[in-house]
Amino acid sequence: MSNYFHRVLLIYVKDIKDEFRTFDNLLSTIIFGVMLVFIFSFAFQLTDLAVDQAFSAVLWVSIFFSSVLAIQRSFAKERENNVMDALLLASGDRGIIFLAKFLCNLTVLLLFELVVVPLLWIFTGISALGHIQAGLFIGSLFLGSWGLAAIGTMLNGITIQLPSARLLFPILLFPLLIPLLIGVIQCTNTALLGVSEPLSGWVYFLISFNILFTVLPLVLFDFVLEG
Amino acid sequence: MLEGWKKFNFWVLMLLVPINIYLIFLYAPVEKTMGIVQKVFYFHVASAWIGLLAFVVVFIASIAYLANRKVQMNHLALASAEIGTLFISCTLLTGPLWAYPIWNTWWTWDPRLTTTLVLWFMYVAYIALQGGGTAENRRRFAAVYGIVAFINVPLVFFSARWWRSIHPIVVSGEGIGLTPKMRFVMFFSIVTFSFLYTYLLGLRYKGISLAERINRLKAELSQ
Repeated sequence: MSNYFHRVLLIYVKDIKDEFRTFDNLLSTIIFGVMLVFIFSFAFQLTDLAVDQAFSAVLWVSIFFSSVLAIQRSFAKERENNVMDALLLASGDRGIIFLAKFLCNLTVLLLFELVVVPLLWIFTGISALGHIQAGLFIGSLFLGSWGLAAIGTMLNGITIQLPSARLLFPILLFPLLIPLLIGVIQCTNTALLGVSEPLSGWVYFLISFNILFTVLPLVLFDFVLEG
Repeated sequence: MLEGWKKFNFWVLMLLVPINIYLIFLYAPVEKTMGIVQKVFYFHVASAWIGLLAFVVVFIASIAYLANRKVQMNHLALASAEIGTLFISCTLLTGPLWAYPIWNTWWTWDPRLTTTLVLWFMYVAYIALQGGGTAENRRRFAAVYGIVAFINVPLVFFSARWWRSIHPIVVSGEGIGLTPKMRFVMFFSIVTFSFLYTYLLGLRYKGISLAERINRLKAELSQ
């Protein structure tokens, strides 16, 4: 068992190293995210709408769109020089590859949010509100990124083997994310606006959704990376 | 066997469809407050039922394909997905026709409406994934997606409902008090549509299989 997780760790470390050595993936994702956040906040300013009401919607739409860029790279880099075959040989289990890629994507998304969320915070001037539940806010960011990374990694494993990958990936991804979208927006909204609603249900919902969509690809990934 | 079933199915439909139209327009009473527009309900509910049923077929056929890799199962899943898209589209088109005069809005984010729309998107994604390609890996991927997407349907429904139950409901439920006659016609429509579905499924299944055979023969000839 420890051997299993050791191998996951090895591939994860390899991917993270690769991410920071080339840096262009993370950087372009962050720049794209900053751009989105800027456009959204500015457009809201132009219409004189209260942007703090729409903060969580803007935040998650930006993260969802940027995640397409971030996750799309994760399997693409293994295609050059048939690295995929080597990975399959080295790991011996497709679940290991899934877990490592998933953790790498999750890390990239969290790093991305580290830059983009404070920026959106400043642009929209939401800090004036005061009664913000920081723990819940960070927790919902983590839960949302977890679900995004898990579903995205599985679908990227599929689309990367097809010619029209770039077009297919978001088409496959977004419908599956709808329950996640509903959940995370409820959580962030409550964290920011302090609405006293029974919220623990949504947190449990998100956790079980994420566990389901982390375990399900583990089972199905044998069929995704076959031959 | 399949041909015999198709012929039988055809004649059943020839019998059921005229009866069903008679029942909908002449037998079922006109709704007191909604008037004649309520007639679309019988088509609407039956199409929605087929849309869901077709997705169950996609799910089961996908599991069967992954389990024993019979190409037929993939053809069945694809045929069912295509017909399901058609019926879900009918549901999405007939819904607003009824909703606008009754609810005074074309669209509302009611859990059922949301789920139907997401279902439509997943169907489209499933068909895009198959993409007319005959490669083995496309079949496998489509099967994986078919399974995951089906599991997602109840999650969408319950999360949408939960979200709506917390917030005030803008437009309350359909609120149709069905008379016994209306209920009978509704179930009759569902039965008719189910026969229509199986008939179309058989046709489309054969169409896909033949198209694939032509492709294979072409490939053999060009070698």
